[in-house]
Amino acid sequence: MKTIRYIATLLIGLLFIQISYAKNYFPKDSAADYYTVENIPLPEGLIAETGAIGFMPDGRFIACFHRGEIMTYNLKTKKWKLFAEGMHDPLGILVVNNREILIMQRPELTRIRDTDGDGIADDYETVTDDFGLSGNYHEFAFGPVADKQGNLFIALNLASNGAGIRKEIRGKYDSLSRPGRMYSCVPYRGWIMKLTKDGKLHPYAVGFRSPNSLGFDAQGRLFVSDNQGDWLGTSKLFHVEEGKFYGHPAGLIWKEDFPRVVPIKLPVSKLDSMRTKESIQFPHGYFANSPTQPIWDNTNGKFGPFAGQMLVGDMDHKYVMRILMEEVGGALQGACIPMNFGSKMRIGNNRLVFAPDGSLWVGQNDHGWAGSRGIQKIAWKGKTHLDIMAMNLTRTGFDLTFTLPLNEDAAKDMANYKFKRFYYEYHQAYGSKQFDVQDIPVKSVKLSPDRKKVSIELAEMKAGYVYELRTGDLKTNDEKYLFNNLICYSLNKLLE
Amino acid sequence: MLKPFLFLRHRLACLILLLCSVYFPLSAQQDTTIVIKVLGGLQFDLPRFAVRPNTRVTITLDNHDDMAHNLVVTQPNSRIKVVDEALKLAEKGAKMDYIPNSPLVIAHTRILEPGRMESITFLVDKEGTYPYVCTYPGHGYIMYGAMYVTTKPLPPLEKDLNVPETQRQKTGATANHSGHHMASQSPHPYPLKYPLHYRTFMPDCSPAAIAVALNETESYCFDAGKCYLRYAWSGGFVDNSEQWKGNGSKLTKIVGDIYWHDNTGFPFRIGKIDITPEVHFKGYHLTNRIPTFRYLLNNIEVKETLTLLPGDTGLSRTFTFRNNTQPLLFIIKTDDGITYKSSVGKFNDGVLTIPAGTQKLTLTMKK
Repeated sequence: MKTIRYIATLLIGLLFIQISYAKNYFPKDSAADYYTVENIPLPEGLIAETGAIGFMPDGRFIACFHRGEIMTYNLKTKKWKLFAEGMHDPLGILVVNNREILIMQRPELTRIRDTDGDGIADDYETVTDDFGLSGNYHEFAFGPVADKQGNLFIALNLASNGAGIRKEIRGKYDSLSRPGRMYSCVPYRGWIMKLTKDGKLHPYAVGFRSPNSLGFDAQGRLFVSDNQGDWLGTSKLFHVEEGKFYGHPAGLIWKEDFPRVVPIKLPVSKLDSMRTKESIQFPHGYFANSPTQPIWDNTNGKFGPFAGQMLVGDMDHKYVMRILMEEVGGALQGACIPMNFGSKMRIGNNRLVFAPDGSLWVGQNDHGWAGSRGIQKIAWKGKTHLDIMAMNLTRTGFDLTFTLPLNEDAAKDMANYKFKRFYYEYHQAYGSKQFDVQDIPVKSVKLSPDRKKVSIELAEMKAGYVYELRTGDLKTNDEKYLFNNLICYSLNKLLE
Repeated sequence: MLKPFLFLRHRLACLILLLCSVYFPLSAQQDTTIVIKVLGGLQFDLPRFAVRPNTRVTITLDNHDDMAHNLVVTQPNSRIKVVDEALKLAEKGAKMDYIPNSPLVIAHTRILEPGRMESITFLVDKEGTYPYVCTYPGHGYIMYGAMYVTTKPLPPLEKDLNVPETQRQKTGATANHSGHHMASQSPHPYPLKYPLHYRTFMPDCSPAAIAVALNETESYCFDAGKCYLRYAWSGGFVDNSEQWKGNGSKLTKIVGDIYWHDNTGFPFRIGKIDITPEVHFKGYHLTNRIPTFRYLLNNIEVKETLTLLPGDTGLSRTFTFRNNTQPLLFIIKTDDGITYKSSVGKFNDGVLTIPAGTQKLTLTMKK
């Protein structure tokens, strides 16, 4: 009897040890539990600086690379095949059909077709080259993306004063914006251009620096990401509308009826009053360094719980960024949050596209800067992780909506929400430090009855700031942790 | 954290330098700031850099990786020793940022968690090759680079044993087709096939250029901005290695010798010699890989195909025209060492008159 009691005590004791062991030593769940990251095998000898990627209607993947190759990849046979070659730094692709694509290369937008059906392109038609080329290396060209009416949009980089221009150029030369770090000395550098169906290229919106690149959201709104630098205190995502100016002044010299002035000599306050603000700011360095292609999750749930939301890549981080947008005071603003897929994900995430099966394909590039090379495929395993579904402005703070019900104690613990705010200055200098950095105390936290929404009241709400939230150990009752725990809301406007 | 550069030795050096600088103001101390980022796969993004002797160097380590790293600058030839000493710290290592207490360490950052950065400043006086390395356990054997303190040129990157092998890559394999053994040298994931074309930045051309190799040794450059043949050469095709490196600032190089250059500025005129037409490039079609260019001279549609004369003795240019209701004039320079012959029209003083309505014309250019 004594022995039995002894054994029972021992067993119960062991059980306790095990439970506490599980609690303390079981690793928390991580992104790799929810997504797979697979390296797509590449043909031998390919320098996989990926300029753009897409899918053909028949399911083939297509990619273009820095050395001008355009190749297709058959997902079933896992074989690569050359489709076209000889392109000049192609950085954009739009698939038309199984035999036809549009390619944005440095000098022009080109329609590439296989007219004889042998699987290899034979016709290269210039769709538009109606924009200037100074020969400066930084004059990259991006796009095209098509709106629902079939108009195409392309984006034209500014030139960099890190290098000169060629003796022979294309387009009308104007030296007016040469002073300054980035300049526009031939037409429509620094612009988003619209190509209408009649083949004419129209200036659409101005004020961009290095708009790599463009994308529509689920509602058909055009977005363009731009890179931290002069006049961009940090990297940004813009909602682009016709006729507007988005901040980098160099391209203004090509605006009709714009006075003959050196744009950077205009008072900053004047330029500031002219510009339309970004929807999203990506805090530089620790959040993003060089944002890339915006796409929206059109997989209807095949890629997880974020259908309809927008994703943007970044050159320097092993994640993509998820955009949580809302309309406040007639303009779009909102939050960005890293979307981690685990440590197998590389950096250099220049191009994104969803495959027919709902997996996300990522084309990587370095292009002389930080980055990597290759192509990766990210698939969702089908389990929902704990993440922030929405971040909405309220009159007193923010509402956070989660993918799963939260553990009540963790959710109600104010220490799990560390807010700070700061702003980036709009100015000519390269980048901006964070100004007026302040911790913002949390005054109260309320959890909704379904435990999926947390309403946070903050000590102060002020427009013109980035509100950055680092969350603590928020979790579900079954020990799923919030591992994407940094979220930044660009508070351009308060609720009225 | 600033590692003070005030070891006695350095103080002495500073003093000497200070004294020297009084007499030799040209050797004044310089300041340099270097930003080194951490790439995935245990690499610093900068595998090497050079500073002149007597430079106050600030290194900012920007850790974007998902692992923790440090950066330790060591005395020349001491990387492995410092890495081994760091390993020997064992469980004390973490507290000490994996920095051994060693005279071989010149400067170091702390261990930086992902997303953090830190700057260190130190003075380098003597010439030499100073390794920098991450001494986090397991990293030091592959994650390193070299600071050259020198005024001399550096060894070629691909042969630099102070740089990790993975970063000694030859960027831009050379498309050097000097005739014989080019097959093994394809810069693409497939063997080169001729004819072959690249849209690229070519010398003596507008930025919208097309380089075409009709075979391994005969090539030409067509200007897709200005719509005319700019020059032709023999002996090879192009070397794009510099153009393909990084951001594409450098021009593609011609391999071989140019035997003909257009000296007219633009050869076509419509009706009268003094009216230069407006041009628009419309694209090209490949037939057996040979391009036929399409362009407009005002509203006249032109197609131009270039092929080789037998024995590679020159070029044959076949033009087709539509909407040419006026005579076309085609200008050549008669003293450029080329023999021109046209299937249609006559040359007069270096001007070929092409009658209105001509549909097809072949112009040969013999070397």
